[in-house]
Amino acid sequence: MTRIGTALKWLLLVWMAVVIWAAFMWVPSASGFKGESSRIVFFHVPTAWVATLAFLVSCVASVMYLKRRSPQDDNRAAVSAGLGLVFAVLATVTGAIFAKIMWGAYWNWDPRQTSITILLLIYAAYFALRGAVPDPEKRATLAAVYSILAFVTVPFLMFVVPRIYWSLHPDVITNPDPDNRLDSAHLRVLLASLAGFTGLYVWLYTLGSRIEAIRHRRRQEVL
Amino acid sequence: MSDLAGIMAVTLIIWIGLFTYVYRLDRKVSRLED
Repeated sequence: MTRIGTALKWLLLVWMAVVIWAAFMWVPSASGFKGESSRIVFFHVPTAWVATLAFLVSCVASVMYLKRRSPQDDNRAAVSAGLGLVFAVLATVTGAIFAKIMWGAYWNWDPRQTSITILLLIYAAYFALRGAVPDPEKRATLAAVYSILAFVTVPFLMFVVPRIYWSLHPDVITNPDPDNRLDSAHLRVLLASLAGFTGLYVWLYTLGSRIEAIRHRRRQEVL
Repeated sequence: MSDLAGIMAVTLIIWIGLFTYVYRLDRKVSRLED
């Protein structure tokens, strides 16, 4: 680990600790939300954002694989898709907790909940595909094509579908009505959380790619 | 301790636990790379 890398990791530890403190203790609960449910936004939005970013990175790495045929690109695509899946599950769980407080049930088949379920199934199938093909080159090519096609659905399922149909899901960032938008204190904590979660994703993605590179090198040595 | 402070404490413990695990894994990977 370089000195700057180590310092950034310790900074992330402190940064996220401050975000957690601010999310629960510093900002008041937002108006228009039941109880303290508005505080989930500080974790739900960043996990959903990181999931989208991870799927995008997986798509880019897949395009790079088809162009260069480097096994490292295939590994990067798989690592990022895995992280995307984990963060999408976290976004679903935090969303369900919010739904329970606000609407009385964990699951309402709201367009957002339905579309993220479809997205989870699409990326779960990516790993089923990877597990089903034993030949590494064939697996990498098929997975790369699938990852690109899977990402085409991401903007549609994350941004288009929930806006076409009526949804219970609140729009607290781009809402034209200022009474239903987050105030500046909430927005500051949300932006800090988004930065922290993005930093965590970058770290996990880099680490995952390094682990896969070691595995690849060892496999080559055995052969 | 209020409910909110309790939830914050649990969230902080989860975060510190996750950080410690990933940091130790990172150091282990660095050693393997050398």
